[in-house]
Amino acid sequence: MRRLSKWAAGSIGLLLVTAFVALSFLAGSPKDVYGMLRYALPHMHRGTLQVGSDAPDARLVGLDGTSHFHIRERTGARPLVLVFGSFT
Amino acid sequence: MGDVVQIYEDYKNHADFLTVYVREAHPTDEWQMKSNVKDDVCYAQPKTLEQRAAIANDFTKRFKYPLPFGIDDMSNAANDAYAAWPERIYIIDESGRIAYRGGIGPFNYKPAEAREWLAARYGAVKHEAQPAAAAK
Repeated sequence: MRRLSKWAAGSIGLLLVTAFVALSFLAGSPKDVYGMLRYALPHMHRGTLQVGSDAPDARLVGLDGTSHFHIRERTGARPLVLVFGSFT
Repeated sequence: MGDVVQIYEDYKNHADFLTVYVREAHPTDEWQMKSNVKDDVCYAQPKTLEQRAAIANDFTKRFKYPLPFGIDDMSNAANDAYAAWPERIYIIDESGRIAYRGGIGPFNYKPAEAREWLAARYGAVKHEAQPAAAAK
Protein backbone atom coordinates (compact mmCIF):
# COMPACT_ATOMS: atom_id res chain seq x y z
CA MET A 1 0.00 0.00 0.00
CA ARG A 2 2.70 2.44 1.03
CA ARG A 3 4.71 1.52 -2.01
CA LEU A 4 1.69 2.18 -4.20
CA SER A 5 1.08 5.65 -2.75
CA LYS A 6 4.76 6.51 -3.15
CA TRP A 7 4.60 5.41 -6.71
CA ALA A 8 1.41 7.45 -7.31
CA ALA A 9 2.88 10.59 -5.69
CA GLY A 10 6.04 10.16 -7.73
CA SER A 11 4.22 9.90 -11.03
CA ILE A 12 1.92 12.85 -10.27
CA GLY A 13 4.99 14.91 -9.37
CA LEU A 14 6.71 13.89 -12.55
CA LEU A 15 3.59 14.73 -14.55
CA LEU A 16 3.41 18.21 -12.98
CA VAL A 17 7.07 18.89 -13.69
CA THR A 18 6.65 17.71 -17.28
CA ALA A 19 3.55 19.87 -17.71
CA PHE A 20 5.39 22.91 -16.33
CA VAL A 21 8.36 22.37 -18.63
CA ALA A 22 6.07 21.86 -21.62
CA LEU A 23 4.08 25.01 -20.76
CA SER A 24 7.30 27.00 -20.30
CA PHE A 25 8.36 25.91 -23.74
CA LEU A 26 4.99 26.75 -25.30
CA ALA A 27 4.54 30.09 -23.53
CA GLY A 28 8.16 31.20 -24.01
CA SER A 29 9.68 30.93 -20.53
CA PRO A 30 8.86 29.89 -16.96
CA LYS A 31 8.14 33.56 -16.21
CA ASP A 32 5.40 33.50 -18.85
CA VAL A 33 3.80 30.45 -17.26
CA TYR A 34 3.74 32.31 -13.96
CA GLY A 35 2.28 35.38 -15.71
CA MET A 36 -0.35 33.29 -17.39
CA LEU A 37 -1.42 31.60 -14.16
CA ARG A 38 -1.18 34.71 -11.99
CA TYR A 39 -2.59 37.38 -14.32
CA ALA A 40 -4.19 35.95 -17.43
CA LEU A 41 -6.36 33.13 -16.11
CA PRO A 42 -8.16 35.21 -13.44
CA HIS A 43 -9.06 37.88 -16.00
CA MET A 44 -9.88 35.85 -19.07
CA HIS A 45 -13.51 34.86 -19.30
CA ARG A 46 -15.63 33.64 -22.14
CA GLY A 47 -18.58 35.61 -20.81
CA THR A 48 -22.24 34.84 -21.21
CA LEU A 49 -22.99 37.00 -24.25
CA GLN A 50 -24.14 35.18 -27.35
CA VAL A 51 -25.01 36.31 -30.82
CA GLY A 52 -28.56 37.64 -30.45
CA SER A 53 -28.10 38.75 -26.80
CA ASP A 54 -28.97 42.31 -25.93
CA ALA A 55 -25.72 44.24 -25.97
CA PRO A 56 -24.95 45.42 -22.43
CA ASP A 57 -24.45 49.10 -21.82
CA ALA A 58 -21.57 50.65 -19.93
CA ARG A 59 -20.50 54.18 -19.19
CA LEU A 60 -17.17 55.09 -20.71
CA VAL A 61 -14.81 58.00 -20.16
CA GLY A 62 -13.62 60.19 -23.02
CA LEU A 63 -9.95 60.72 -23.87
CA ASP A 64 -10.07 64.01 -21.96
CA GLY A 65 -10.40 61.87 -18.81
CA THR A 66 -13.52 63.67 -17.54
CA SER A 67 -16.36 63.49 -20.07
CA HIS A 68 -18.66 60.48 -20.13
CA PHE A 69 -20.77 58.69 -22.67
CA HIS A 70 -22.61 55.39 -22.91
CA ILE A 71 -22.04 52.59 -25.38
CA ARG A 72 -25.81 52.66 -25.97
CA GLU A 73 -25.59 56.21 -27.29
CA ARG A 74 -23.53 54.91 -30.17
CA THR A 75 -25.88 52.12 -31.24
CA GLY A 76 -29.12 52.10 -33.18
CA ALA A 77 -28.48 54.00 -36.38
CA ARG A 78 -25.81 51.71 -37.81
CA PRO A 79 -23.94 48.61 -36.70
CA LEU A 80 -21.35 49.37 -34.02
CA VAL A 81 -17.99 47.64 -34.14
CA LEU A 82 -16.66 47.47 -30.58
CA VAL A 83 -12.93 46.90 -30.28
CA PHE A 84 -11.63 46.20 -26.77
CA GLY A 85 -7.94 46.30 -26.02
CA SER A 86 -5.03 47.91 -24.19
CA PHE A 87 -1.64 49.35 -25.13
CA THR A 88 0.62 46.59 -23.84
CA MET B 1 -4.16 47.10 -34.49
CA GLY B 2 -3.28 48.05 -38.05
CA ASP B 3 -5.87 45.61 -39.35
CA VAL B 4 -8.62 47.20 -37.25
CA VAL B 5 -7.65 50.63 -38.53
CA GLN B 6 -7.85 49.34 -42.09
CA ILE B 7 -11.31 47.86 -41.45
CA TYR B 8 -12.35 51.21 -40.00
CA GLU B 9 -11.12 53.07 -43.07
CA ASP B 10 -12.89 50.60 -45.36
CA TYR B 11 -16.26 50.55 -43.59
CA LYS B 12 -16.59 53.79 -41.62
CA ASN B 13 -19.17 55.02 -44.13
CA HIS B 14 -21.38 52.05 -43.29
CA ALA B 15 -20.80 51.28 -39.63
CA ASP B 16 -19.81 53.07 -36.43
CA PHE B 17 -16.70 52.06 -34.55
CA LEU B 18 -15.68 52.41 -30.94
CA THR B 19 -12.46 51.35 -29.31
CA VAL B 20 -12.71 50.66 -25.59
CA TYR B 21 -9.49 50.87 -23.62
CA VAL B 22 -9.51 48.27 -20.82
CA ARG B 23 -7.02 47.24 -18.12
CA GLU B 24 -3.51 46.67 -19.39
CA ALA B 25 -2.57 43.17 -20.43
CA HIS B 26 1.21 43.33 -19.87
CA PRO B 27 2.08 46.15 -17.50
CA THR B 28 5.54 46.41 -15.97
CA ASP B 29 4.23 45.49 -12.51
CA GLU B 30 2.43 42.37 -13.72
CA TRP B 31 3.23 40.14 -16.65
CA GLN B 32 5.53 42.26 -18.77
CA MET B 33 6.84 40.65 -21.93
CA LYS B 34 10.06 41.12 -23.83
CA SER B 35 8.11 42.54 -26.75
CA ASN B 36 6.89 45.39 -24.51
CA VAL B 37 10.46 46.49 -23.90
CA LYS B 38 11.36 46.13 -27.56
CA ASP B 39 8.33 48.19 -28.61
CA ASP B 40 8.92 50.70 -25.81
CA VAL B 41 5.47 50.11 -24.34
CA CYS B 42 6.26 50.00 -20.65
CA TYR B 43 3.56 51.10 -18.25
CA ALA B 44 2.55 50.06 -14.77
CA GLN B 45 -1.04 48.92 -14.35
CA PRO B 46 -3.02 52.16 -13.95
CA LYS B 47 -4.43 52.62 -10.45
CA THR B 48 -6.38 55.78 -11.19
CA LEU B 49 -8.54 56.97 -14.04
CA GLU B 50 -6.03 59.76 -14.72
CA GLN B 51 -3.28 57.19 -15.28
CA ARG B 52 -5.53 55.15 -17.51
CA ALA B 53 -6.49 58.20 -19.57
CA ALA B 54 -2.81 59.18 -19.87
CA ILE B 55 -1.87 55.80 -21.37
CA ALA B 56 -4.88 55.91 -23.70
CA ASN B 57 -3.71 59.30 -24.93
CA ASP B 58 -0.15 58.05 -25.42
CA PHE B 59 -1.58 55.24 -27.52
CA THR B 60 -3.85 57.35 -29.73
CA LYS B 61 -1.14 59.95 -30.26
CA ARG B 62 1.65 57.55 -31.02
CA PHE B 63 -0.30 55.74 -33.70
CA LYS B 64 -2.49 58.67 -34.76
CA TYR B 65 -5.25 56.18 -33.95
CA PRO B 66 -8.33 57.26 -35.89
CA LEU B 67 -11.15 55.24 -34.26
CA PRO B 68 -13.57 56.85 -31.80
CA PHE B 69 -12.24 56.07 -28.36
CA GLY B 70 -13.64 55.39 -24.92
CA ILE B 71 -11.96 54.42 -21.66
CA ASP B 72 -13.35 51.80 -19.31
CA ASP B 73 -13.55 53.36 -15.86
CA MET B 74 -11.81 51.93 -12.81
CA SER B 75 -14.77 49.68 -11.99
CA ASN B 76 -14.00 47.87 -15.28
CA ALA B 77 -17.73 47.86 -16.02
CA ALA B 78 -17.41 47.58 -19.80
CA ASN B 79 -14.73 44.92 -19.53
CA ASP B 80 -16.86 42.87 -17.15
CA ALA B 81 -20.03 43.25 -19.21
CA TYR B 82 -18.29 42.07 -22.37
CA ALA B 83 -15.70 39.69 -20.90
CA ALA B 84 -13.31 41.65 -23.05
CA TRP B 85 -9.84 41.35 -21.52
CA PRO B 86 -7.24 41.27 -22.96
CA GLU B 87 -8.71 42.03 -26.36
CA ARG B 88 -11.94 41.21 -28.12
CA ILE B 89 -14.22 42.44 -30.89
CA TYR B 90 -18.01 42.57 -30.95
CA ILE B 91 -20.45 43.96 -33.49
CA ILE B 92 -23.77 45.30 -32.23
CA ASP B 93 -26.51 45.54 -34.84
CA GLU B 94 -29.07 48.33 -35.24
CA SER B 95 -31.52 46.59 -32.91
CA GLY B 96 -28.96 46.66 -30.10
CA ARG B 97 -28.18 42.96 -30.16
CA ILE B 98 -24.87 41.19 -30.49
CA ALA B 99 -24.42 40.35 -34.17
CA TYR B 100 -20.83 39.16 -33.97
CA ARG B 101 -18.99 37.90 -30.93
CA GLY B 102 -15.26 37.63 -31.42
CA GLY B 103 -13.02 35.28 -29.51
CA ILE B 104 -10.71 36.24 -26.67
CA GLY B 105 -7.27 37.53 -27.57
CA PRO B 106 -4.56 37.04 -28.29
CA PHE B 107 -5.15 33.66 -29.90
CA ASN B 108 -8.81 34.03 -30.86
CA TYR B 109 -8.75 37.74 -31.60
CA LYS B 110 -9.55 37.79 -35.30
CA PRO B 111 -10.31 41.15 -36.91
CA ALA B 112 -10.66 39.29 -40.22
CA GLU B 113 -13.91 37.78 -38.91
CA ALA B 114 -15.33 41.23 -38.18
CA ARG B 115 -14.26 42.27 -41.65
CA GLU B 116 -16.12 39.27 -43.09
CA TRP B 117 -19.28 40.30 -41.26
CA LEU B 118 -19.05 43.79 -42.69
CA ALA B 119 -18.15 42.49 -46.13
CA ALA B 120 -21.20 40.20 -46.16
CA ARG B 121 -23.38 43.23 -45.58
CA TYR B 122 -21.63 46.00 -47.44
CA GLY B 123 -19.43 44.22 -49.94
CA ALA B 124 -15.77 43.30 -49.76
CA VAL B 125 -13.09 45.95 -50.01
CA LYS B 126 -10.02 44.68 -51.79
CA HIS B 127 -6.49 45.87 -51.16
CA GLU B 128 -4.57 44.46 -54.05
CA ALA B 129 -2.03 47.24 -54.12
CA GLN B 130 -1.06 46.67 -50.51
CA PRO B 131 1.74 44.37 -49.44
CA ALA B 132 0.59 41.22 -47.68
CA ALA B 133 1.94 42.33 -44.31
CA ALA B 134 -0.17 45.49 -44.25
CA ALA B 135 -3.31 43.66 -45.30
CA LYS B 136 -3.05 41.17 -42.48
